[in-house]
Order: sequence, then structure tokens, then C-alpha cells
Amino acid sequence: MSTSHTVRVTPRGGESAKRPPHHAPGRRRLITALIFMAPALVLLGVLVAYPVVYSLWRSMFDASGVNFIGGQNYVTMFTDPATFISIRNNIIWVIVAPVTCTVLGLIFAVLMNRIKWATAFKLIVFMPMAISMVASGVIFRTLFQEDPNLGAVNAGLVAVHDAFSPGASYPGARPGSDSTLTVASDGEIQSQATVAVGSVQNFPLVGLQTSTLPGTAKPAVAAETPAANQITGTVWLDFVPGGGGTPGTIGDGKMGLPGVTVEVVDTHGAVVASAVAADDGTYTINSPTSSGSYIVTLPASNFSQGYSGISWLGPTLVTAVIILSYVWIWAGFSMVMIASGLSAMDISLQEAARVDGANEWQVFRRITAPLLMPVLIVVFITLIINVLKIFDLVYVIPPGSSLPDATVIAVQLWTVSFGGGNDQGLGSALAILLLVLVLPFMIINVRRFKMEREQ
Amino acid sequence: MATVTFEKATRLYPGSTRPAVDALDLDVEDGEFLVLVGPSGCGKSTSLRMLAGLEEVTEGRILIGDRDVTDMPPKDRDIAMVFQNYALYPHMTVAENMGFALKIAGVNKDERAARVLEAAKLLDLEPYLARKPKALSGGQRQRVAMGRAIVRSPQVFLMDEPLSNLDAKLRVQTRTQISSLTRRLGVTTVYVTHDQVEALTMGDRIAVLKDGVLQQVGTPRDLYANPENVFVAGFIGSPAMNLFHADKADGGIRFGNTIIPLERAALDAASGTAVTVGVRPEDVIVSTTGTEGLPVEVDLVEELGADGYLYGHTEINGQRTDIVARVDGRSHPNAGDRVHLTPKLGHVHAFDTESGLRLVHAIVD
Repeated sequence: MSTSHTVRVTPRGGESAKRPPHHAPGRRRLITALIFMAPALVLLGVLVAYPVVYSLWRSMFDASGVNFIGGQNYVTMFTDPATFISIRNNIIWVIVAPVTCTVLGLIFAVLMNRIKWATAFKLIVFMPMAISMVASGVIFRTLFQEDPNLGAVNAGLVAVHDAFSPGASYPGARPGSDSTLTVASDGEIQSQATVAVGSVQNFPLVGLQTSTLPGTAKPAVAAETPAANQITGTVWLDFVPGGGGTPGTIGDGKMGLPGVTVEVVDTHGAVVASAVAADDGTYTINSPTSSGSYIVTLPASNFSQGYSGISWLGPTLVTAVIILSYVWIWAGFSMVMIASGLSAMDISLQEAARVDGANEWQVFRRITAPLLMPVLIVVFITLIINVLKIFDLVYVIPPGSSLPDATVIAVQLWTVSFGGGNDQGLGSALAILLLVLVLPFMIINVRRFKMEREQ
Repeated sequence: MATVTFEKATRLYPGSTRPAVDALDLDVEDGEFLVLVGPSGCGKSTSLRMLAGLEEVTEGRILIGDRDVTDMPPKDRDIAMVFQNYALYPHMTVAENMGFALKIAGVNKDERAARVLEAAKLLDLEPYLARKPKALSGGQRQRVAMGRAIVRSPQVFLMDEPLSNLDAKLRVQTRTQISSLTRRLGVTTVYVTHDQVEALTMGDRIAVLKDGVLQQVGTPRDLYANPENVFVAGFIGSPAMNLFHADKADGGIRFGNTIIPLERAALDAASGTAVTVGVRPEDVIVSTTGTEGLPVEVDLVEELGADGYLYGHTEINGQRTDIVARVDGRSHPNAGDRVHLTPKLGHVHAFDTESGLRLVHAIVD
């Protein structure tokens, strides 16, 4: 610098020395700085500052945007139960989703260090990041449909359930109107009177469609004459498609009901013997006694509705399903971040700890985890901010009926402003609330960046 | 304190056909300072890591004392290791670094502090106990790494090139510190280095490795005076031993225009018509006036004060051969001079040209 009497340092000191002394040097510097900062300032102003200020301004006007109502929108917001539901859901989200994603990412990343095919595995876990949020929302909505014929998850559940508790199910079957059979309150169908051992008890049932019968069903036949210690009979569908036949008699192509459980119950209500109807509907029960009489029943389990899965998208589980879909997407992100932190770590530190006598868990807890902490915190806070703003998944996954139970602030904001409410004043108030919630985490993150740079 | 035994220990990396360490047989005495030395890629670090349990042993066994540790995880081996990059835990203070192993072992706080302090005194680390490693200089970090090993009072110290990250002056200083310290503590030490000067100055015994195969084990003097093959001869000593082909002649070998006498038994044992001759630079007699021996043109003389090294070349059987000789620092030939070299009798090493093995078994001084 050629000027010894000036303290300030300018890039072109020689030129500034020629300037007349009365020219305010501070202003010139400010202008230069402003010119350099202009592109960033303009973008930030247009895209960040203006929308924030305008939202704040707009939140003090009513739906029409003409009448100034001061804090009235905030009062409305905090008296609307929907706001509290969305705040509650946001809290659930913030507590569950970032922790789950970070922990899963950590587990994946650490385990990945030790397996073959790590790259393939990483790719699979990371892949959901490449799918748009709306598309993954649609995928999850389809997967978790309640009807097992539509939703893969319930289809799987039903298949597993049926594999463990098989048996034909004839929901809706009942005795014909002129039948002597009686129906108990729990749906059990029983012989009206006791049946003597050595006799026949038939069960003509109606209320089923021929098309819903199992493929194995054969036309019903009369049961064989029972031996002295047996009770026999036939369970059949007492109905001929297209009409015809005589109610209560076998024949005319009436079908047996295979798989129906038939039980013999003594007078104390205890089951003494049972059998299962054959394909043609006949059954044979060997009675423990060669005389006496029992009530013959078809237990209610024959006629239960059957297992049809879980109502995933109903009010109670819908948020869990949406969070699951979020985790599916973002666990990959956290895994990749943590894995890069791991690979930057000096492997000899872990080796040194092992030689120092630490087992694998101690190595992880005392060496790996503390050293990963900066990465973990960045991932965690990024996810918190991300989760607070969650919109797409919550908007796409729940069916209309459970949306009010799944709603979060961002969805509430949209619903109020554009999705029916058309009150952009109230919407702006919600936007300001969201901003206030996100702000502390932004500040923490910026502080961390600063701290790291100073180190 | 314990002995260390390698029994045909082999490490074959998956996907590789040549073992990184090939059937290593080595016995380290109780309290001995053994140096594993060799060029990079010779398997010395792998051997050490096999002993530490950080590298799998494909075949053979490793014993510490009487315990077979071949399949034992590192934590159960009761060893301490000093890593090349020191591997200090960056999130712990010096004291925590040094006390980590004790903490893991469940030693109570007071005893831990006492033992850390003791080791810190030994290494002049007391003022730095509360610092984090990043606030230390390279030499201090190196001492912390040493301290971490000492605090454990383990059965065996393993050191993997612990001086290679220090500057030259500090390296020489620390070299002496380490060897005096380990001798004082009397702990068996296995020390890996690529630097043969370090090996010669520090080791009770030295094991030279090349391509995963043990070449020779012996005291520094032994290795220097009686290298068992051409590789050890060329590797130990600085500047390296002069090695060149020489034709057999009647009763000896041809050295320029003279014949150096060699035992008949040795000559007979050599296959072919030539042997590989080795002469250390200090065993070369330089004559500016004589006409006997190997005619050499001087390329350069390196002045080291008291001594100098003469670098020259000659032609042996039509092949250009470089030769180094130690000369007096005050009076010596200059570059461009022609001189004649003869070896000191009794200081000539002869090796079989084909197998590279030593022909004469002991040099008679």
C-alpha cells in the first residue's frame, strides 16, 4: 500500500490515494460492497425476504384481503381444533421421524462397513430418494389400502392369518325360514332338540351365493345310515340357482358345504366330539357313548366374517403409515451422509481401541459414535427442519376421511388458503407459525456451521 | 512380559495368489526388542497386525507366551500398539487417551489417574494432560501414543513405524528415547520400520523381510557382518554394499586385474562360472597411484566432513557397474579421476549368483 497515513486497506490503494480527502471513503466502500452483494441480495429479497414480510402483512387481513383485522387470524388459528391437531401431529412427526431416520441410517451405514455388496445395498436404501414425494405417497397409499384385494400389506396379512387359522368360512349362512334349526345369539347354528346317538341330523342352510362356495364343493348327498354309536348328516346349501327343488331336501344339484365344523355338545354345554363336513357336505361323528342324546351344532366360527386385515389408513394408524413412508425415503439420505462421515474416519482409531481392549460395542459407543456426532447432529437437525415442513406425503396418502386426523401445519395451511377455505389471511398466519417453529432449528444449524468453521 | 512366537504364520489376502506374509517362523525372546525391517510391501506391517489381531492369520499359529492367540480378538491379547499416525482419539484429552485402556478394563478412577500421571512423568507429558491431541505438536503426539501403550503395562509392545511422521532431528532423538524406555521397562517389543538405520540402532535383533518371506534374523552386527543372502547384504548398511558379478578364477575370483583368494569349498559350492561379490564401501581400498584391482572412473565425491563417499563406475564383463567407496574426508580423489580399487582381504562377501545365498560363512577379521 502506498499510503502510509491511511489505515484502511483497499484493493487499489494507489488510486485511492489520489482521491480528494473530503470525499467520504466509507460511502464508496459501501457502494462497492453493495454492488458485489447485489445479485445475492436481489435473489434473497425476492425469494425470501419479500414472501416472509408479505405473509406477515397478509396474515393481518381477512379472507378478502381488503379489511385489516389485526391479530384476529391468530385468534381464529388458535381456537380452531384443526390447528391443534396439526400441531400435535407435527410434534409426533418431529419426535418420531428424525430419530428413526437417523438411527436407521446409522445402523445401515455402520453395518454396511462390514458386508459384501455394500454398494448394491446402499443403492437400494438410497433409491427412494430418487422418487418424487408424491409418487412415493401414491405407492404407500396403494400398499396400505384396507381392502386385501387392493392393498398389498393387508393381502399379505390376510394370507399369513389364513395360513395359521385355516377353515372354510361361510359368512351370512343361516337356516332357511321353515327350518327346525335354531340360531344362538353368537351365531352358532344348532339342532332344535337333542339328537339321539345313532340318528341323522341334517343342516340345510341358506343365505350364501353358489359362486362364493369353495371350488372343492360337490353336490350334496344324503349321509350314510349311522352306526349305533354315530351321528351322521349333511350340511348343504338349500338353494338351487334359478329356482326349483324342495326346501329341506337334498338333490336337484344343491351343493354340500365342505369344511364346516360340526360339534356334538352334551347337556352341560361341553363339546364331546366333532367332525368336519366332506366335499359333499356329509359328516360322521363317532359318539363317545353308544346311547343318549346330544345337541348337534355348527359353531359360530364357521360363519364369522373372516380376517380382513388392519385399517391402516384409518384415523388411528394413518400418521404412522405416513411417517413410515417418510422414513422409507429419508433413511437413505441419512445413511449416505453418515456413511460418508464414517469413510472419512481414520480406521486406525477403531483398531487402536480394539487393541486397547474394547469390544465392538465399546468401540462403537466410545470411538465411532462420538466422532460421528457432528454428522449425526447435522443429519438430525436437517431432518427436523424437513419434517416440520412436511406436506406432500400427508397430502397424498390419507384418504379424505382420515385427512383431518393426519393433517399437519403445512397441509392445514394449504387447506385453509386454497383447498376449500380460501382464507389466505388465516393461511398466512399458519405460515408464520410454521416459520416460528422452524426458526430455532435453523439458528442451531447456522451456529454449528459457524462453530465448525472456527475450529 | 512374554515371548512371541510365529509358527509358519501366513496371511493370504482374498483374491491374491501370493501371500503377504509367507510361513513366517520367528521367536522373540522375553524382553527383547525385535525390529521387523524390509522395503515397503514386504509384509512387515502385516506381520505386526497379525500379532495384534487386526489381520487374520490364514495358516499357522501365533503365540504370546504359551497362549495361542491365533484366533483371539485383539482385545484379549494383552498387547499395546503404537500406530504410524498415532491413532490418538481426537475427542479425548491426553489423559483420557492414555487412560482409555484402563477405563475399558474397569480400573478405578484413582488408580487410573495415578498410572496415567506416572507414564506422563516418564514422557514429559505432565503439562499436556488436559489438552486434546490436535493442540499438540507431532513429537508430543508421538509421546502420547507411547504413553498410551506404556500405561497398559502390556505383555508386548507393537510399534508400527512410530517415527516416520517426525522430522529428521526429532526422529533421532526419539529413537534413543524409545529404545532406552523399552529396555528400562523390560517389555517385549516388536518394532516395524522400513529404515535400516533405525533397525540397526534400535534392535536387539533384526528380522529382514522381503516379499513376505523372512530373509534373516540376527543381531545388527550379525546382519551387517554376515548377510545370509544378496538381498540382506544390499539392504542393510548405508551406503549399500557394492554387489557385482565376478568370474571364478583359479583359487579365487577375478577382481579387475587381480584375483581375490576365496576358500575352495566356497568356490566349489557356487553354481556356474561366476559369483556375486559384495564389498562394503568402507572395505574398499582406493589407490590413485596403483594399477592393481578394478579401474574406476570417479563420478562424484560426497563430502561428509570426516569421511567422504566416492561414487564411480567401471565396466565388468561389458556391463557398466556403479561402485561406492568410503574415502578420507580431507584427501580424496576428485570427480573425473581414474583410480584403482581393491577390497580389504577378509571383508569380501561372496554369494551364489543363481540362488543369491552366501557362499562363505564367516568373515575372518
